[in-house]
Amino acid sequence: MSSDAEPRRTSTLEEIGATTLHLMRVAGGLGVTWISAFRAARAPGAGARAVCRGIALRQIFYTSFQALGLISVVAMFIGATLIVQTELLAGAFERETAGRVLVAIVLRELAPLVTAILVAGRSGTAIATELGVMRVNSEVLALASLGIDPPRFLVWPRIVATIVSLPILTVYFSAMAVVGGSIAAFAMDPHGAPDWLAGISAGLTPVDLPLFLTKAVGMGGIVGWLCSYYGLDVGTSPTEVPIKASRAVVQTLLACIIFNAVATVLFYWVSGARLA
Amino acid sequence: MIEPPLPPGVIARHSAPQSTRSARTEPSEPGITLDRVHFSYPGGQKILVDTSWELLQGESAVVTGGVGSGKSTLLYLCAGLLAPVQGKVLLSGFPITPLLPSERFRHGLRVGFVFQEGGLLANLSARANVSLALHYHADVLGMTEAQIEDRTTEVLELCRIDRKDWSELPAHMSFGNRKRVALARAMAIEPTFFFFDDPDVGLDQRTALVIHELLCKLRDDPKVTLVVGTNRGILMERLGVPGFRLAGGQLTTRTEVHSLVPPSPVSGSWHPG
Repeated sequence: MSSDAEPRRTSTLEEIGATTLHLMRVAGGLGVTWISAFRAARAPGAGARAVCRGIALRQIFYTSFQALGLISVVAMFIGATLIVQTELLAGAFERETAGRVLVAIVLRELAPLVTAILVAGRSGTAIATELGVMRVNSEVLALASLGIDPPRFLVWPRIVATIVSLPILTVYFSAMAVVGGSIAAFAMDPHGAPDWLAGISAGLTPVDLPLFLTKAVGMGGIVGWLCSYYGLDVGTSPTEVPIKASRAVVQTLLACIIFNAVATVLFYWVSGARLA
Repeated sequence: MIEPPLPPGVIARHSAPQSTRSARTEPSEPGITLDRVHFSYPGGQKILVDTSWELLQGESAVVTGGVGSGKSTLLYLCAGLLAPVQGKVLLSGFPITPLLPSERFRHGLRVGFVFQEGGLLANLSARANVSLALHYHADVLGMTEAQIEDRTTEVLELCRIDRKDWSELPAHMSFGNRKRVALARAMAIEPTFFFFDDPDVGLDQRTALVIHELLCKLRDDPKVTLVVGTNRGILMERLGVPGFRLAGGQLTTRTEVHSLVPPSPVSGSWHPG
């Protein structure tokens, strides 16, 4: 019996090589996506600027204002859950500490990260799917044929929109988390809420603002950038669209989680700030 | 008579038979130039192998070829929508690949391309699809909002699209209407290079005749260099322009378009296929 029919086994070395090539291709594609969007956005053209500004504003509306309901529910329940848990663990004498814990965990960490996760799941999939379908339907080629730069028309407004939307939504998330926590605190003990709110005030430091913005803006950029790249990476087959959309969200979530952790560590290391 | 494939590096110059066209000056400026172009899809077949070809400014041509021969890809390459693996593609003497699409437009290289499926933006109405490029290039074209509206109306009417369809999204339009809107969109920018991929496939006779009529107008416009990818005999007969067959990665040239026309059961009648 001939052994020709047997599938050829790939060695570990070949697999490492293939994975490295794939990673290099993705890294190259991400670089090209960013550079081409930036280059195209700087190209002259008042008409192009006006058209792309309109697209960015619409995308900001879809990404931020239409997500307020979802953000409200998630943030209020996270805030309320945290307060209930700290009350259970620390009791009535540590309400000020509970307020500080809310600042440390929700406002500094969970608010930017959970907001980014919600935006990636909601708008990131929409961006990747929309761009993927546009690729399949020759819409991207049609834009280029009309003298419209696809990176400027498709990628740049979406990156700008997610960069603008994430800080807005993160601030909103934080506010809603405090509202949810306050409701829970008031429900457990109407007289304990002032202590808890005092803890929040004491927990906030000036260092929180740049960290908060760095995280929100950075993760906003990651969502728009990665999801646009994976959307435009679709070839000519419609079956690629869900595959790339799923990959876009998974990679975006991983990137956001890593970025959040690295930003926290670096920020407090570089600034020498201490947690209040 | 079928001519042999062009040897590498040789550029074929071809003049349109004037008998089938309205009176116009003899073209002499370079239009579309393929200079030793090689193109293949990753892991796929070779579409063009060391192919050189030239169409002068204002000339028209039909490109034919079997299924999967690469007619659409050739049109994409000529329009600068794909970059060749090797070789150069020039429009009016400009190498187009390193330029951004908007830079080409600013250089005066206006390309109109109608895709097989239309390629309309799904989230824009017919009217918005047509006016999009006009808004985007409003400063280059020097057009005001009112002029853009007028031009949009003009091309929509020229392509005989019912007013009730002007506000429809592509998904709510018939295939024929989508194709006509795509044609209107490409015509709106007054392109100097016009590419039409399978213009009348899947269309009813009435819609196809409208498109044939508009293509004949474009063919007769001395400012427009027209390339049509088709295997339709009736369209080739109507256009009466030089035909080129794409096969085996090479473009063969023919002196008579009639020799490319497939046999029809009823001469001159509409034959779907």
